[in-house]
Amino acid sequence: MNNRNRTLQIKSREIIILLVLSVVSSLIIGCAALQEAQQKREKRMQEKRQGKHFLLSASKSTINVDPTPVDDKPHGESDHYTLKFADDLMALDDYDEALEREVFAKSALVYMESLYDSMHNIFGFKPKHKIHVTLYKLFRGSNRHAITGTQYSYGNNIKFVTGIEMHFPMDMYEKHEVRVHELTHAFTNIYFLPTWFNEGVAVLMQKEYAKGGMFTKFDNLELHLKKDLNGMNELENWDGHGAGGPLTQWRYAYAYSVVSELREKYGNQLYIKVFELMERDQLHQKLIGAMPTSFLVYYMSQAAGKDLVPFFQNLKFNVRKLEKIDILEYIRQLNVQNTGGH
Amino acid sequence: MYTNKLGDNRHYFLMILLLPILLTACVVSQQWSENYALVDGVKTNDPVIADGNLNTVGQSQLKKGSGSLDLDRWQNSESIIILPEKKKVYRVTIHSSNLQDFQLLALNTQGEWDVIHDQQHNKEKVIDIRLKQSVTTDGIKLLVRETTDDKARRRQNSKIERENEVTSDGKVRKGGYVYKITGPQTAPAMIAEIALFGYADAAQ
Repeated sequence: MNNRNRTLQIKSREIIILLVLSVVSSLIIGCAALQEAQQKREKRMQEKRQGKHFLLSASKSTINVDPTPVDDKPHGESDHYTLKFADDLMALDDYDEALEREVFAKSALVYMESLYDSMHNIFGFKPKHKIHVTLYKLFRGSNRHAITGTQYSYGNNIKFVTGIEMHFPMDMYEKHEVRVHELTHAFTNIYFLPTWFNEGVAVLMQKEYAKGGMFTKFDNLELHLKKDLNGMNELENWDGHGAGGPLTQWRYAYAYSVVSELREKYGNQLYIKVFELMERDQLHQKLIGAMPTSFLVYYMSQAAGKDLVPFFQNLKFNVRKLEKIDILEYIRQLNVQNTGGH
Repeated sequence: MYTNKLGDNRHYFLMILLLPILLTACVVSQQWSENYALVDGVKTNDPVIADGNLNTVGQSQLKKGSGSLDLDRWQNSESIIILPEKKKVYRVTIHSSNLQDFQLLALNTQGEWDVIHDQQHNKEKVIDIRLKQSVTTDGIKLLVRETTDDKARRRQNSKIERENEVTSDGKVRKGGYVYKITGPQTAPAMIAEIALFGYADAAQ
């Protein structure tokens, strides 16, 4: 009887211990789950908050400034930029003293380096050359046009970048979305893209990443389409920043709308994948002159996992479905012509 | 009796001696924390306002506009600092050459901005704000209401022009004077640095 009682006592003690252990462990698991849920919620909130604003992290770049340089040297230099004040800007009250230029140059380079890091994070690649920035009061007589120019050379059947310049009238430099637009060009110009796509991506970055204003997105691409006399999309006649005229605003807005719509359909990484695919093949470097839209659509279709030729044909782009062999044959033809062969 | 009185006085002496020591201990233990705006992982809408360098000057940024000058011309600008984790903030210092009227806001757990400080007619270049109540937050916003450069900006971006009319026979008929707005009517705040502090012990 005593033995039976003792066994019962031991068993009940074991049961109590097991119960206590299970309660404690479920409490711990519950707490961990709660903590995890809380952390997830906070992360979501943080992403939501950051989504509303254009935010940058401080850069660790080295910055050197000389407000009165000699021999046409820049006023400031950092890891990825040189900065110069044009003569017309230095004649203004705000920039005519060395201290004013020193403070401005340092501050501008801190901002531009942070922006550079952020764009590098997004694109996953960066230009190999330093970007030479010049600030003006008026650039080519205007305070409304900022320009990024990429110089390139062609040798041994390969096109390569030799330098990148940015020209900002101060009124444009002061707009952070314009800096984002122009820096996008500095990054993507290494792929020698068709103008409409190059500008479309730059406006996409300016609007959707930098939360800038200026261009509206067309909700219906077919309705807002403008065709040239050949019945083709007017965007394909766009040959750069310099091209003014009554269609300029429409071109920026329409190019942005096309690029944005495809991004919405095929995901935020669509264009990053396009650049990765181009980088893998290196065929963009072998093209002479501007990149045909069909060439771009070949890579876009691969990145989207869907043939996008019908989408572009519907919008009256001059495109056809290509295979890699078509591109290689096109490049071969160009090279034969270029070397004077038959 | 006399001895007892002396004993009581000894207690008073001891308390008087201990009080300053206690107070000093409190003050020493409540030193300011590091500047939270400079820790790794901080994001701002202008990195120059939190680069730890008083010789660089950033700007408050205009909020995302509607694209219409009519709607956006009176828009306020703001400076935002987002911390990588929540901190208890007691003190905010702003180094600005033109900040006049402004509000400080803190991000609450619902993702909304709560006003924690309101200041008008500021004339200081270094504004040292001790909050009445500490705020635990991972975001601080400076909302610029007015700067000393606003008037100049208004002059720069407004003009009175004659609205002439071209008649059907190609002649120009002089019209009346109209007031034209050509750009924003508010100037951004020039900000060398915004620093956020808690107490050193609370920071850990």
